[in-house]
Amino acid sequence: MKYMHTRLPDFYSKIEAAAKSRDPETEFEVSGLESFKTAKLASLRVGRVEDEITEVAADEEIKKIKVQVFPLNPETSHYVVIKGIRGDGSCKKAVIEYMYLSSPTVETALFDAEEIDDRTVGNRQNY
Amino acid sequence: MKLKYKIIPRGAANGQVPLNWVFLDKKDIDAAGLTHLDAVRLIANEMGTDCAAVDIMDMEGVTCTSDGIIAPGAVCGVASVDHRMINREFGYLNVSPIPFTEKMLEEETHMKLWLTEPYHGRTIYKGPSTADRGARASHNENMTMTGRICNNNVGSEVMNMLEMTEILAPYFGIYQLMTGGDVYIGKAGPIVSVGIGMIVSERHGRIFGSDNLGAYKAGMTAHNSGKYAKTVKSDYPAIVAPKSVLAEYTLRALDIGLVPGLDIGCSPACIELARAYGKPVAVDNISDRAWEELESIGFTKDYVTSPRDVLTREEIIKYADEIIPGMDGAKHYAASEIIQDQELTW
Repeated sequence: MKYMHTRLPDFYSKIEAAAKSRDPETEFEVSGLESFKTAKLASLRVGRVEDEITEVAADEEIKKIKVQVFPLNPETSHYVVIKGIRGDGSCKKAVIEYMYLSSPTVETALFDAEEIDDRTVGNRQNY
Repeated sequence: MKLKYKIIPRGAANGQVPLNWVFLDKKDIDAAGLTHLDAVRLIANEMGTDCAAVDIMDMEGVTCTSDGIIAPGAVCGVASVDHRMINREFGYLNVSPIPFTEKMLEEETHMKLWLTEPYHGRTIYKGPSTADRGARASHNENMTMTGRICNNNVGSEVMNMLEMTEILAPYFGIYQLMTGGDVYIGKAGPIVSVGIGMIVSERHGRIFGSDNLGAYKAGMTAHNSGKYAKTVKSDYPAIVAPKSVLAEYTLRALDIGLVPGLDIGCSPACIELARAYGKPVAVDNISDRAWEELESIGFTKDYVTSPRDVLTREEIIKYADEIIPGMDGAKHYAASEIIQDQELTW
């Protein structure tokens, strides 16, 4: 069952390999997951993303693949843990608080795109 | 076909307005035979590669300010647009009318003002219904987001998330702009920063409350930030109504016996207007955390309960600038100096 979800380092290596699938000299850049040091990713989505990167990279005009990851809900909700650490390194007290963060949405990655092919679930309109 | 709209362009008010802010009147949208969302789509196209916050107004309706004061006109929809786009799940937010019920009157005693003229019978808008909120999760504010633009608290706090700029407009400021009145624009400062957090509890309020009542009741502080409440929003520019306008509408609540800290918010403005009018403040119902914030700006219990000369309604409105604290250094503008009437065609 361990292969049902992809390790984060494997995700990075898989999508870079997909970007360079036609031409090993294709430049590659990924951003948006910097704060995650360890994670498991739903494997079927990794497969779709690999497939889509390969599709875009197959165009001979394309010299660089840029992958940008955004939270689907752009107003993200976070725990903040405030810890008081003693001189010996032990934690005497932790306070847990919520924090909310509104960040630029996925549209900011699309401003310069000549063609946008939206393949998110069902291409549904929500209103 | 033509659609009228108003816009405060980025850079207005001597550069104090950091982003475009568009206002659509429901009656103009109706006259054009459009849905509200279609009208927003037209605005998105009109803005081209620029971005804007959008408020849709029903000036025939009524709404409720964060102080719990009924106000004429209402925001009945909000949106964020950028590069002709509207985020599919978070870019648009309808605000449905809320039916008046006896239960509402029991739970939200500030709504008693709605029973009086000129409000009685007018459509009530506050915050969105659960259905209006759509894909938003429980933690999501009543906010729209597209690209760079965020429009929060049902059209009263708008931001550019990329440039990290923001401007506030407490409701009466919006009302002045829609009706061609005067406004003041300047930094919110510590008094407004504290006052904004002293709200009333509502179901589907503009800021808090869902199918359940909002957790923060009159006499409490939603900021709950102690001595930091006076700084949380103090540096942001705000568009506010003249203090005489705020006084006029707040006195109507005091006239029917609504009490700051019990029925309406315990903001410095409500407290000072009650003191000047010889009306009670529910000092014993104000929470310790709210007192902590009030005391940080000089509103100790001793001060609030100290005697002062009682003035008439006319005197309070005349001297409102001296009675209501806050917005020090704000500049006066006629609405026509900062908001432009426009018309788009399609």
